[in-house]
Amino acid sequence: MTDAFAMTRKQRRLTMIGTAGAVLAVALGLVLFALNDQIVFFQSPTDITEKQIPQGQRIRLGGLVEDGSLERFDDARVKFRVTDTANTIAVTYTGILPDLFREGQGVVTEGVIGADGVFVADNVLAKHDENYIPKEVADALKEQGHWQGGEQ
Amino acid sequence: MIVELGHFALVLAFVLSLILSVVPVWGALKEDEKMMSVASPVTVSMFFLVLISFAALTVAYLNSDFSVENVWQNSHSAKPLIYKITGVWGNHEGSLLLWVLILVFFGALVAIFGGNLPAPLRSATLGVQGWVSAGFLLFLLATSNPFNRIPNPPIEGNDLNPILQDIGLAIHPPLLYVGYVGFSITFSFAVAALLLGRIDAAWARWVRPWTLLAWAFLTLGISMGSYWAYYELGWGGWWFWDPVENASFMPWLAGTALLHSAIVMEKREALKIWTVLLAIFTFSLSLLGTFLVRSGVLTSVHAFATDPARGTFILVLLCIFIGGSLSLYAWRAPLLKQGGLFAPISREGSLVLNNLFLTAACAAVLVGTLYPLALEALTGEKISVGAPFFNLTFGPLMIPLLMAVPFGPVLAWKRGDLLAATQRLYAAFGVAILLVLFTFWLWGMERVLAPLGVGLSVWVMVGAIVEIVTRVKLFEVGLVRGFSRLKGLPGSAWGTAIAHFGIGVTALGIVTATAFQDEKVLTMAPGDTVSVSGYEITFDGIAPRQGPNYREDVGHFVIRQDGIVIAELDPSKRLYTARQMPTTEAGIHTIGFSQIYLSLGEPRDGASIDVRVYFKPLITLIWIGSLIMAVGAVFSIADRRLRVGAPKPAARRQAIPDATPAE
Amino acid sequence: MMLWILIAAMTAAASLSILLPLARARKTAGTTSAADQAVYRQQLEEIDRDLERGLIDEAAAEAARTEIARRLLAAHERRDGEASSLGSMFGVRFTQLLAILAIPAGALGLYLTLGSPDMPDRPLEERLAAPAENQTIDELVAKAERHLAENPEDGKGWEVLAPIYMRLGNVEAAANAYSNAIRLLGPTTTYLTDMGEALTVANEGIVTADARKAFEEAVKLEPKAVKPRFFIALALGQEGKKEAAIAAWESLLADADPKAFWVPAAQEELRKVGGTVSSAAETPKGPTREQVEAAGEMNAEDRQAMIQNMVQGLADRLSGEGGSVQDWQRLIRAYMVLGENAKAADALGKAREAFADNAESLGNINAMAAELGLAGQ
Repeated sequence: MTDAFAMTRKQRRLTMIGTAGAVLAVALGLVLFALNDQIVFFQSPTDITEKQIPQGQRIRLGGLVEDGSLERFDDARVKFRVTDTANTIAVTYTGILPDLFREGQGVVTEGVIGADGVFVADNVLAKHDENYIPKEVADALKEQGHWQGGEQ
Repeated sequence: MIVELGHFALVLAFVLSLILSVVPVWGALKEDEKMMSVASPVTVSMFFLVLISFAALTVAYLNSDFSVENVWQNSHSAKPLIYKITGVWGNHEGSLLLWVLILVFFGALVAIFGGNLPAPLRSATLGVQGWVSAGFLLFLLATSNPFNRIPNPPIEGNDLNPILQDIGLAIHPPLLYVGYVGFSITFSFAVAALLLGRIDAAWARWVRPWTLLAWAFLTLGISMGSYWAYYELGWGGWWFWDPVENASFMPWLAGTALLHSAIVMEKREALKIWTVLLAIFTFSLSLLGTFLVRSGVLTSVHAFATDPARGTFILVLLCIFIGGSLSLYAWRAPLLKQGGLFAPISREGSLVLNNLFLTAACAAVLVGTLYPLALEALTGEKISVGAPFFNLTFGPLMIPLLMAVPFGPVLAWKRGDLLAATQRLYAAFGVAILLVLFTFWLWGMERVLAPLGVGLSVWVMVGAIVEIVTRVKLFEVGLVRGFSRLKGLPGSAWGTAIAHFGIGVTALGIVTATAFQDEKVLTMAPGDTVSVSGYEITFDGIAPRQGPNYREDVGHFVIRQDGIVIAELDPSKRLYTARQMPTTEAGIHTIGFSQIYLSLGEPRDGASIDVRVYFKPLITLIWIGSLIMAVGAVFSIADRRLRVGAPKPAARRQAIPDATPAE
Repeated sequence: MMLWILIAAMTAAASLSILLPLARARKTAGTTSAADQAVYRQQLEEIDRDLERGLIDEAAAEAARTEIARRLLAAHERRDGEASSLGSMFGVRFTQLLAILAIPAGALGLYLTLGSPDMPDRPLEERLAAPAENQTIDELVAKAERHLAENPEDGKGWEVLAPIYMRLGNVEAAANAYSNAIRLLGPTTTYLTDMGEALTVANEGIVTADARKAFEEAVKLEPKAVKPRFFIALALGQEGKKEAAIAAWESLLADADPKAFWVPAAQEELRKVGGTVSSAAETPKGPTREQVEAAGEMNAEDRQAMIQNMVQGLADRLSGEGGSVQDWQRLIRAYMVLGENAKAADALGKAREAFADNAESLGNINAMAAELGLAGQ
């Protein structure tokens, strides 16, 4: 085995390892950055009332749609209130509500809290099951001690 | 009697799977012909038994036999025939039975078409397939038995979840399962090779058709699932980075990596250990996907099937299979002979690059999928990791990969010439630049990324064409000879080019449908008109209609272009009466590769209604591209079928070393 | 029987799929390396073909050929070291044992714990086509519903179905069935009254305008009918027309046989609206009409609980103060209906004790016990 050959082997190995390391480092960096920046915390109305969440931070708000709180406006805008029975947050949303959105049922909305304390949602989720209460909502309600559901 | 016969067949299949798990593996380790010979017949018997079982359940569904608990829970006598059949796998128990059926079906395929495999490898592979079958048959019988009976059967069933009463359900899960479960074969091959302590180029070649087959079906399954969600959920989205979607996407990424690394192994006998690891990972991710979907640990838009007891069982299965195979890997892999190193600029170098990006992307998706679960388990904090996370991590990793795709096939093995390769790709690069400029001209400068995305997609597409053209030297040898050379190209070359072209098509669809989509959300009264991307859509009114097992309010819309009617759409809001469950049926009109998408909200007082209107340019390319990818895989498989010249069984028995291999 | 034959056949086939290959397997040599060599020879040919077509150049082809030739040689050399065996007798015997014993025993054992071999298939069509005496109430109702969905003009069908709905507690369906029967067969007192009753129960005991109209038409057809008049009186009370209600109750009671089961309830209602009961003939204490009505509206569990309460009350009274033969018989029967056979037997014993010196009563009790299948106890 000549020296020159050994060098190329070494170089090759270094190139391979270097490339692999670079790609993995980029991937890792992206993941860490995104985990820091792009994840959305779930909050119940009580969390929002108590915790002072900075304005403009994206959160997920979950709870029950308060009975009788749904108002519809022109241009597909709706207003409703989300409650965990202890506290209540007003929400506005423009768009089409999911099929299973109903007063008194669980809901998860995603968006930001506006200056007036009204939650501006750009996404409303209700799961595709007639008995569904979103898992986070059920947990939050359990914390409030108001939940006597089945095994969910 | 039919139901009970199906139940017995399932039990018998389980007992056989235990024997299959022990005898042939033992035989393979001892090189004992007699014990190895058991593997294939037992595998085939198991397949027929599970088939009988599946058929029995289907008959129960067709006859509305509500003495079967599963039928009572998920069917209804008034359900249309097609949904009685698809309802068989529209629920937890039935879909697992289908899972197992496909598992043993793949085993049977190996048993029947594996004549070219050396007996020890075949027996050990089937034996390992037996382990997986035994685990899942036990899971079925212990926690999810579809044949549980009700002594005093009710007179009517609970009906199938209406969201699943759709032709999409007929197609999507079976395809997805064939893909998921197909990778069990590569897993079994890998574990068998580790057990026997021998992995070489021949191994890679034997595994390849199975990997391709599974990959093709997984591609189709994911794509159909995406289309199904697109038109059935009525949200206008085609991919939500939902954990259930990720669960099917991760095996796809790992499987794609496996497909490429196996080529290196076959041609150069390198990357052996890595390929075996990928084979294990791919199926592990399939199992993880099954676990995530079946255990109900997720909050996701796919909501059927949740049960903690089952979750625990399948988690244990998952740990045994993944933990066991990785331990075996850690123990045996160092004993395997390492392959050689190679030049970074070469075909194999580009394939390694492909593997790097694909596995890194797969890892990013895995982190995004599991992080919320882990965080909640550890700190109790609840978060959601949504599209922004995946767009930021997955997206950037795909860009360099797509840039590199056209280079791979034009580089030579061992030592490639990057400059020569680049020169060959000038044409593709030119076309891509032209398209970028054209897009800028069409849409203006406010979106910078989108035209670049279009350029990247076109680069991949044209690159695939260039590869074929240069391979046959189409322009050098003249068109007539060139075309005859085209026919002579091996199927695998066609497969590569077609699949790469498909990737470009899908990417183009994603970029245009995302960046140039036009969306309007508004309340419309009869007579109102809304305009999207130059199409005027007029709302005529809404009328009730009665379906076989639902009531619906149907909106009537007329689409005009320059005052001329081009289509009428009838999107609706349905209420399925048995479960009192509403669904939205979108109205979709396809124009070329683009679509107009209409979905309805709640009707308001009077006759007005909330409407969401989209124009989605070139969106169908997303699914067409994936179809093209699957076609590419079929080309590749066809090539293998022709060219893997198996020694005929007779020839093998005589084992004459210089016998001409049958072709 | 057919099931067992098929099960036996399947098991046999499964065992044979092990025994046959075991018996047939022959000794071979070098299969692994032969298969390897086949692959490598294929690869060599591919290189030649690719070269022929000019897909690779001569240098690359030569390099690849050397590489593959090396693998081919290695595989060929390995062949000499390879020799498969027919294995130890132990392994073969063990496998045969598994096939002959473990498969039938394991499969049957597991199946018998999991399965229900005695249960036939129950396709819906077959269940609905079965002779009526073999069908459950639900099946009969479903069959009738199907028939009526196809022949909605069959008044007799509605007539038959209506009281069944009533008994099953499906009062809305019952009211609908009665109205169909009236439409098709013409009004009768019974239909009108029962429809009114169904509507009343459906509205939680409130006599609605529709129900009242039905009762009034019934009275028109048969002025002395008790039941519609009872409900009209009830309606008047609910509407707050006390005078009219008192008059209605009094006229109803005046015509009544004082032993009629509804009399106490009517008297109770009369008191409620402020009237006085003239001849307060004490009637045996049973559940009041309200209680029975309440039971009709309850769901199955509540109803069960209420019945059990009443039975318990009766049992307590009888064991404390004693009672008539009829009372004891009622108690035993009630236990049997509730499925509490032990308690029934216990009550039977107590009753026999209580009437040990009364041959006639004892005979009655024993006759009933025989009828209920309690005789041996």
